Amino acid sequence: MKNNRILIIDDDLDILETAGALLEYEGFEIHSADTVEKGIEMIEEVLPVVIILDVMFPEKKTLGFEAAVAIKKKYPEIPIFIITAINREYAFDFTQNDIKVEEFIDKPVDYGRLAKLIKKYM
Amino acid sequence: MEISSKIESSEYTDLNRVIGWFIILRWIACAGVFFALLAAYYLFHYKLHYRVLFLFNGLLFLVNLVFTIHYSLFRRGNLSRKEMSVSFNLQVFFDYVLLFFLIFFTGFLENPFVYFFVFHIIMTAFIFSSRVVFLYVVVLISVLVSAAAAEYFGFIPHFPLTVSGIYSYTNLIFIRTAGLCSTLIISAYLISSIKKRIEERGKKVEVELDHYKSLDKIKSDFILQVTHELRGPIAALKGFHEMVLKGITGETTKKTWDTIRKANRRTKNLLTIIDEMIDYAYIKSEEEIKFNRTRISIKDTIDYNLGLFLDTAAEKNIRFVSNCPKNLAVLSNRDLLNIILSNLISNALKYSPDDTTITVNAEKSNGEFHLMVKDEGMGIEPSKIHKIFDEFYRSSEARAIERDGTGLGLAIVKKTVESLNGKITVYSEKGRGTTFHIYFPEE
Repeated sequence: MKNNRILIIDDDLDILETAGALLEYEGFEIHSADTVEKGIEMIEEVLPVVIILDVMFPEKKTLGFEAAVAIKKKYPEIPIFIITAINREYAFDFTQNDIKVEEFIDKPVDYGRLAKLIKKYM
Repeated sequence: MEISSKIESSEYTDLNRVIGWFIILRWIACAGVFFALLAAYYLFHYKLHYRVLFLFNGLLFLVNLVFTIHYSLFRRGNLSRKEMSVSFNLQVFFDYVLLFFLIFFTGFLENPFVYFFVFHIIMTAFIFSSRVVFLYVVVLISVLVSAAAAEYFGFIPHFPLTVSGIYSYTNLIFIRTAGLCSTLIISAYLISSIKKRIEERGKKVEVELDHYKSLDKIKSDFILQVTHELRGPIAALKGFHEMVLKGITGETTKKTWDTIRKANRRTKNLLTIIDEMIDYAYIKSEEEIKFNRTRISIKDTIDYNLGLFLDTAAEKNIRFVSNCPKNLAVLSNRDLLNIILSNLISNALKYSPDDTTITVNAEKSNGEFHLMVKDEGMGIEPSKIHKIFDEFYRSSEARAIERDGTGLGLAIVKKTVESLNGKITVYSEKGRGTTFHIYFPEE
């Protein structure tokens, strides 16, 4: 059977719960981490088909971007979807060229669309 | 020796330019001395030691040739800090020495060009710190006073400019020396203090600039934080609603399902309101500045914004139609285009009945970029159409359809269109629908 594991890294436990439940509903196997550290540790064992990564963490506002760079360095083949509540570039320019991730998605997420997008990368 | 205070990188480039400027001035001085000596010989028939003077003129030429070759050919006008310091000191030193001998052999204190030392002091004060300038002034004055005294007491010969001036020269030697030395001291003092004041003012401006920069940083950090803190919980709320609506949490009664659907709708409205308020604050605060522009694909922008409302459209069975050439791109600001499109599409959806069509078209025509958002909704009363772009205005009909709303959406759209030098017009027919046309000048 095809790998359908998704790793979600977000410090908001409610987002982990809802995103997890709604993506599971769409047919994915969900693994989640509430810190970047735990998330990076889990990649090796989960080997997800897509990593869904938040940007702002309590430790640092742009920790997600740093995590994306670190993950891409070690696992360049795993697609990363940056998922953020910041929907305007004036608040943070998350489309800048040095952040090499596959997709940027606004919160609140349309999970039906997200599921279709993930399937594109499977 | 130290060059004036600390060198910032911009000053560093400036100082390199000053070296180039000094070299050019020295070429002019070299030519000036050459022609002055020719004039003195052929026109005025002064009895001077021309061989010695042309020798110094030649020396000036050679020294400047070395500086020119080093600065322009070897370093291509870009000296390192250390080289700059050495170059400035060598240049200033040779200038003083050569000027002294040229003046000494042409009448010394009786030569009006003796005041050229003042220019040299001004330039020295311009480049070096007060301490170094003080040192130069002390050494120069000591040399001038010693030479004048030595001339007066006959230890060294005087090389007169004119024979007739000898008597008055000896008589006036002290006053001439005092005049020259005081002029040198005053010039050094004035230039050093003016320079100090300019530097102090420059520092003040820098501090103010830093202050404004930090204010700007605080503002964007604030927007970032507010956006995150308000949109984050709403995302979670919507997620929980959807879990119930999709039956993930188990079976629900029709009433619970309806209640959650309503809660979800209000949550979505709340999100729109928050976005409008943040956009409004942003547009208002940035009125005075120019927005960054990049080349943006219009088709992608329209698709992205329509995509944001697909689920709402599906709920009302509203069809989205979009006509836009695939390669249509404009130089614009992505945030601003998103603000315009998302507001107009969201409005069209809000005030359109079920089973209708919303059309978003874009094209380039007559040197303009034209964007159109058309709905088949309730339309706007002719008597109220002039008010729709007013801040916080909501018509009673709009209120009846949608309770929540800031009345800021169209005010934001208008302001945003204007920020991009565009214009917006609206055409509406009661009961038939509303069409917004936006025109941007082609870049």
